[in-house]
Amino acid sequence: MILETLRIALRSMASNKLRTFLSMLGIIIGVAAVIAIVSIGTGARGEVTSQIANLGSNTININPGTQRGEGGRISRPYTDIFTLELGENIQNFSPAVQAIVPVGQGTALLISGSSNIRATVVGTAPDYQAINDYFPERGRFLLVEDLDVKSNVIILGSEVAGDLFGEEDPLGKKVRMNFGNRTHIFTVAGVMQEKSIGLAGNFNTQVYVPITTYMQKVANTRYVDSYIAQAGSSTDAKIAVGQIEYFLTRSLGSSDKFRLTSQDQILEVIDQVTNTLNIMLGGIAGISLLVGGIGIMNIMLVSVTERTREIGIRKALGAKRRHIMRQFLIEALSLGGIGGVVGIGFGRLGAGVIAHFGGWALVISTVSVLLAFGFSLLVGLFFGIYPAYKASRLDPVKALSYE
Amino acid sequence: MIEVKDLHKTYFMGKIKVPALRGVSFSVKDGEFLAIMGPSGSGKSTLMHLMGCLDYPTAGEYWIDGKEISSISDDRLAEIRNQKIGFVFQQFNLLSRTTILQNVEIPLIYRGVSLRKRRQLAREALEKVGLGHRLTHKPNEISGGQKQRVAIARALVNNPAILLADEPTGNLDSKTGQEILEIFNDLNRQGHTIVLVTHEKEIAEYSRRIIELRDGIILKDEVVV
Repeated sequence: MILETLRIALRSMASNKLRTFLSMLGIIIGVAAVIAIVSIGTGARGEVTSQIANLGSNTININPGTQRGEGGRISRPYTDIFTLELGENIQNFSPAVQAIVPVGQGTALLISGSSNIRATVVGTAPDYQAINDYFPERGRFLLVEDLDVKSNVIILGSEVAGDLFGEEDPLGKKVRMNFGNRTHIFTVAGVMQEKSIGLAGNFNTQVYVPITTYMQKVANTRYVDSYIAQAGSSTDAKIAVGQIEYFLTRSLGSSDKFRLTSQDQILEVIDQVTNTLNIMLGGIAGISLLVGGIGIMNIMLVSVTERTREIGIRKALGAKRRHIMRQFLIEALSLGGIGGVVGIGFGRLGAGVIAHFGGWALVISTVSVLLAFGFSLLVGLFFGIYPAYKASRLDPVKALSYE
Repeated sequence: MIEVKDLHKTYFMGKIKVPALRGVSFSVKDGEFLAIMGPSGSGKSTLMHLMGCLDYPTAGEYWIDGKEISSISDDRLAEIRNQKIGFVFQQFNLLSRTTILQNVEIPLIYRGVSLRKRRQLAREALEKVGLGHRLTHKPNEISGGQKQRVAIARALVNNPAILLADEPTGNLDSKTGQEILEIFNDLNRQGHTIVLVTHEKEIAEYSRRIIELRDGIILKDEVVV
């Protein structure tokens, strides 16, 4: 009986394919939106998480705070507050901090033979590689001795090495560095592995020198620009943020003078953004499903009117109200269900395209598919009730004489 | 056995009362071949609807197989239509998207007969009207006479107490019409009770008894000799 009715429903839908498709469009869009949203949300979050992991795990960036501009002074970051000793003290007073490196940064022109290239010079310490999960491919990274004797060694990012030396082996070669109006000669001690470009920017266009050499010889300053601290676990990272905050507020006299950025905070911001996006797209999905439901109701009402005579015939042949009701409900359900399946297909396609351009793996969760399909059936059922009810209440005499 | 007792039907067009039947009484014994005749507006369609359990009378009683049905529920009425009454319409009223076999199966579906039994009964009914070889055709692929045979097969398939035919030859040429009337004759000889509704005297004369209606009352009720 049910199967029979389903066959009748499919046949009547097949007899007017374009109209059936158009009436299902709302459901299709709504379901496709649901599938795509969930998939894109999952994919994007996975991608962001992996990018954050790419930053090195459980790291906390410590940067200068921003000075308020007042009385004709322009607002700008605090300078001259972070010293090498302060960095060491942070580690000493914050037990949750496993490692910390100072960072001094500037732009310089690097020259080798006839090639030259503008690159970011990063003055730092040996732990930089472990914190960033970033290691030399050839040669070595900075050593403690390099910092102690302020040696003129330089480690090249992979792109810089390629640009300056091409196919040649850069190890042991001399590089001239023009920084400000001074020139220094450095010896290449290593070339770093290639690192994918992530939230932290492009590591491959940077070069690395001992922080002591950078401060004293290159930038001529007693201060570093920032620190990168690392904790043992994400729980420790939360504790470390608190400890660093407490320590720095006490030693600098104000919490305005520094700014802490942990991965948790970045994740939180990204979660907020994706949540907002989800609410928005969820709203679109909801509205499309509603409009889709109204579309189904509309087409079902048309169908009931068009088939008034058929209903009359069926009633004359002994169909009870519930038989007619069931027939039209199953038809509405089929509309919703088929719309749902097509929508799932389109949603998968859309999510696939976006995943391709976003560069993450396509994930279609079973839950979202079942949810979307369930919703489309529910919409079909809900918006089918009234037309089906109307059909079931038709007067057989009037229905039979309907032209 | 059918008994119609002082049946009234009044339609309301807004506030205006339009009496269609004004007290009609007669009975039909099992195996009779009866024609209800009258011009349009005589009330014969209304009578047919009431006898077919498609509508409720305003007053009076209608007994079919010992049951009075003028005050039973809509769904019970559908059951009686399904089991006791076979309809044959002027417009054939076949479902155009379904095959001939499936059309004949419809009354059996609503009776809850299993698929296999349905197929068998429908095929038998179609064979009875000489259409055993066209089961998978659609209604628009066969002639008018054949359509009406399908409709007769459909009306017979549940073995009803009466066969109600409303102008069954109205859309057919006279030769085909006669063939259809012959089928009714045969069915009557086999014991089926037949009620033929028509406005044509020649057609009514195929039956054994004619009830003539005029303005909602019985004008004549006589046996055909």
